[in-house]
Amino acid sequence: MNPVVKHILRFVVFVLVQGLILGQIPFPLGIHPMIYPLFILLLPFEMGLIGVMVIAFLCGLSIDFFMNTFGLHASSAVLIAYLRPELFSLFSPRDGYEGFEEGNIYQMGWRWFIPVFGIFTLVHHLYFFILEYLSFKEILFVFQKTILSAVITLFLAIIIQVLFFKKGKKK
Amino acid sequence: MRNLIAFFRRFRIFLVFLILQVFALTSYFSWVQYPRTRFFNSSNGVAATLLDAQQDFTKHFSLEEENERLQAEIKALKKSQLENYIALSDDRIRIEDTLLELQFDYIPAVIVNSTYTYKNNYFTLNKGAASGIRRDMGVISSNGVVGIIYDVSKHYAVVKSVLTENINIPAEIVNVHAGGLLKWEGTEKDPRTITLTGISNDIPVELGWEVVTNSQSGLFPKNHLVGRVAAIEEIEGKPEWKITVKLGNDLRRLQSVFVVENIMKLEKDSLESVFKEEFID
Repeated sequence: MNPVVKHILRFVVFVLVQGLILGQIPFPLGIHPMIYPLFILLLPFEMGLIGVMVIAFLCGLSIDFFMNTFGLHASSAVLIAYLRPELFSLFSPRDGYEGFEEGNIYQMGWRWFIPVFGIFTLVHHLYFFILEYLSFKEILFVFQKTILSAVITLFLAIIIQVLFFKKGKKK
Repeated sequence: MRNLIAFFRRFRIFLVFLILQVFALTSYFSWVQYPRTRFFNSSNGVAATLLDAQQDFTKHFSLEEENERLQAEIKALKKSQLENYIALSDDRIRIEDTLLELQFDYIPAVIVNSTYTYKNNYFTLNKGAASGIRRDMGVISSNGVVGIIYDVSKHYAVVKSVLTENINIPAEIVNVHAGGLLKWEGTEKDPRTITLTGISNDIPVELGWEVVTNSQSGLFPKNHLVGRVAAIEEIEGKPEWKITVKLGNDLRRLQSVFVVENIMKLEKDSLESVFKEEFID
């Protein structure tokens, strides 16, 4: 499939899944998984940072439309998009990212994906919940929400890739 | 020179980051200021249409429960119908007819989108200005309070639900007629309960007592059930109870609601505003 079409399709699917399914399920213990960081992580390695940030912004904004959160998702999405290259260079494979297309489990392996996406989601969720609560008094609850939600998000991200991504496209 | 160019390249990226963040954050932090947030909420366009379609699909899952609820409501209404009563005295009913004037009108609506996990939760209704819904009307269900209309488009309305931090709906405990304010603390984690504040701790309160709306705000009809007292705690350093109220309706499963139109609200507000101008300012 043409990569542009592929990523546009993913954009739509991730926004709809977040807005119509994940955002509507009442989870206990304040858990609020957000799966669209996976979409931002899976944008091609060679894509320019400005492009990634603009796409992340549009993605967050679309979800804000569904959830009545007035820009909260957009802000968190742009933040992780901005930090993406730093994170990639931190976990760079021995020969760099030459020849890899995107950071999914099958191309980069579990040992790359789990720490990278784990940090990615933790940063996103922590920033999101701190902005949402904006209160020092509730900081412990914010941490609880962040950690539990991040675990669920990571789990969902792995399931999605195992179920819907094609295996072995290593170049 | 090369360093300078590299610096500007880096700086350009940071600038884009800053612009996007400023746009998102100003919108987020000004959500209290009503007109500027219109752009974002789900009473608009594409998102509302999609949420409508989703509601069309998922509404069938809870039909049985919804039917039972409606039946219970019909039963309650039947009881209050005039033909079910024997008139004890003919003139009395006639007198009551001229003494009563309709104050509250109800607009039925369906919830098409809702959240429960945020600190402030909003519901979207499938009716808007075209059906006579306006900002600051109360929203109730047959056995509980849902919230206050926050924003209206032509065919949709967004409700600031009782699961919102500064909802401040006046309510009272039936048995002792003690009034306070309903608040929701995001940390409560439980969308089935709400807190009643402002009840002085020299008033005896017992578990299971009914909490109902009172007419102070003019948004809700008097004596509409909110819920029952589920826990009573003392607040340290304050002569007040912290009363946890279990809501009469589970907001997570709610579908049909009524928007309350107070026909006399304008009259009340204009009268009160004169008072405020004269004595407070």
